[in-house]
Amino acid sequence: MGAGHDHHHHELEPVEGSWRDETDDRPLSVARRRFLAGMGVAAAATAVGAGQATADDRTPRNRWSPGERWYAGDHHIHTKYSPDAQYEVATQVANARKYGLDWLVITDHGGVAHQKFSIDQVTPDIEAARRKYRDTLVYQGLEWNIPGAEHATVFLPPGRHAVDILRAFEAAYDGGILSTPVANGGLGLIQRSTSADGEPYALAALRYLDAQVFAGRTEIALMLANHPARRGIDSPHELRGWRDAAPDVAIGMEGAPGHQAASITAANGGRAGGRGFYEASPSVDSFPGYAPTATENPYRSYGGFDWMTAKLGGVWDSMLAEGRPWTITATSDSHQVFGDTFVPGTQDHNATGSRGAPTDTGVRQVYGDFWPGQYSSTLVGAASRSYVDVMRGLRSGRVVAVHGRLIDGLDLRVRARSDGDTRGVSIGGRTFVRRGTDVEVTIEVTLAGRPNFGGAVPKLAKVDLIAGPVTGPAADRDAMTAPETKVVETFAVPGGARGKVRFTHVFRGVDRAFYLRLRGCDGNRLDSAGNPLMDIMGDDDPWTDLWFYANPVFVDVV
Amino acid sequence: MSRWFGVGCPPVAGAAAHADHVLLSSVDGLGADFVCTHVDRTGAVARTALAVRLGGSPAGALTPLAGPPDGGRCVRFPGQDALTGTLTAAEIVAASAIDEVVGVGVPVAPDSAVDTLGFLRPTFAGERLVLLVEPAAGGVLRPVEIADPHECCGGH
Repeated sequence: MGAGHDHHHHELEPVEGSWRDETDDRPLSVARRRFLAGMGVAAAATAVGAGQATADDRTPRNRWSPGERWYAGDHHIHTKYSPDAQYEVATQVANARKYGLDWLVITDHGGVAHQKFSIDQVTPDIEAARRKYRDTLVYQGLEWNIPGAEHATVFLPPGRHAVDILRAFEAAYDGGILSTPVANGGLGLIQRSTSADGEPYALAALRYLDAQVFAGRTEIALMLANHPARRGIDSPHELRGWRDAAPDVAIGMEGAPGHQAASITAANGGRAGGRGFYEASPSVDSFPGYAPTATENPYRSYGGFDWMTAKLGGVWDSMLAEGRPWTITATSDSHQVFGDTFVPGTQDHNATGSRGAPTDTGVRQVYGDFWPGQYSSTLVGAASRSYVDVMRGLRSGRVVAVHGRLIDGLDLRVRARSDGDTRGVSIGGRTFVRRGTDVEVTIEVTLAGRPNFGGAVPKLAKVDLIAGPVTGPAADRDAMTAPETKVVETFAVPGGARGKVRFTHVFRGVDRAFYLRLRGCDGNRLDSAGNPLMDIMGDDDPWTDLWFYANPVFVDVV
Repeated sequence: MSRWFGVGCPPVAGAAAHADHVLLSSVDGLGADFVCTHVDRTGAVARTALAVRLGGSPAGALTPLAGPPDGGRCVRFPGQDALTGTLTAAEIVAASAIDEVVGVGVPVAPDSAVDTLGFLRPTFAGERLVLLVEPAAGGVLRPVEIADPHECCGGH
């Protein structure tokens, strides 16, 4: 889709302009979609959300268009308003721009001090950044302590009620506040931020955000689970629970966590820790199914990506095999940047909600993060560079997670030409084909044409086309494998290739619903099956182990 | 003869090394040769439970257990003090109660070098005490559990 793709085409294309078009934001269309989706829930006695195609809705989603416009961004960035971070909002925004991002979300940690003191300070800082940089989208968000689980990005587009919604949401549903005793300014309703008695609050929180959209108080609200496997506390049933409670809000998770500089060796000025700061082991609130074994350690990253995403046929695939989208991203989680000379200010965060301005020591510090965009990018295909459209792009799954600018572009087209579908659908899409037809997949990768911020032009070595059958809602809500999901074809990228490379694959005589997705890498660290290797603590150069992951396309057979 | 008992677990928080110190203090005086944590998931909210192995008859009301808790994580175990610096897998097994050193995704030979990092928390798989290790920089192995994993946001 080009930047000129705008709402006025609704009148020209009856299908896309109908009430079923989720990009149609007229209140009555929104309400009608939701009403009918609600009927679907009742009729099917199962949790089917508004973002999900119902049995009679065969409208293809994310139709392919030439010249897709991608917007690079980062939904996970901290400032001096987090107790463990240090930068000014303006510094993070300036760096995001320097490193090529079009959009970013400021996500300081939720908690009593943040809710009471930080929101009022970060809001004007964000507004000032928006005024200063008109062409960069600066979202206000929150790093929510999901009750009973890990952290998550929650964010809204700018709007009259946006800050009020964020403030109320945090006050009522942040796990830190819920678990803090009343005497210390919290709610004292759950034992720990991560204990299982928080799980119902997480679902209520997501329904609250959904209700704000339904009531028209915000155009859209999104939640993405951050570093989901880091401490083993996001169980599969919690992930499914969030998705099903509010599928238009809880849309996915970090496929790759931030802190990608954390494993750089001490000799190179690094912290010599776990890539992504993935250094933990099971604790009291961990899901027992994630315990490390002789074959794998879910608490470590693999090729820089979270185990849930990196493991072929793992947690992510087990959710996709249900036929439901769950979008993965890559972020910086930028708190303190590798090689930077600044240290936090001396203000008491607990008492003021801010650490104050950072100070420059002139001495390189041992930090584990990159600046926003310096290493990690979440590319979103959006109709325009607008706050709501980029969020809609994220929600539609038209998203590619990329490390180290491994690729400059990705054009995926999935279509059944024998059905008369010449257009097809793209990343994050859903198409409907006749049983027995051939489904053609064309992949066009724009190879990196310039050095990344590690100083080298990255070389894509291969692209894997991965596919697995859609087997329906998981009977076991803690299911974490999709044994039939496989690499169906690996495409080697010729050594001297420049510009664009193009690959095709045909699924012949398709007789059951399936999904497909793409990943690619620089080929430096692979196991014998071509999968990413577990990252080694303190011995990992993030610039020589680069991957991209594209979100899935669903092919329904009718 | 030595027997296993469940004992009351004090509230613990923070990094493993700190929490373990609190746990060990709480069983001071019992003379336990094994001190293990495990997770009790029988209630609505999981809790950390503590088990010890004692020789002879303990004083006070302790809950007898049939054996080591499955998955029990040993904060103290016989031979622990001898395991410092870099040792081979065979040396670890010979010098301590650890029955086996198991690598994550890598084979472990008797002469494989393990950098203990001064902090080992082997776990029980049934009756066997297993130390899980993973590849580390410099071609050696290191324990999967480390004393001071990065804590984000005050450990929320």
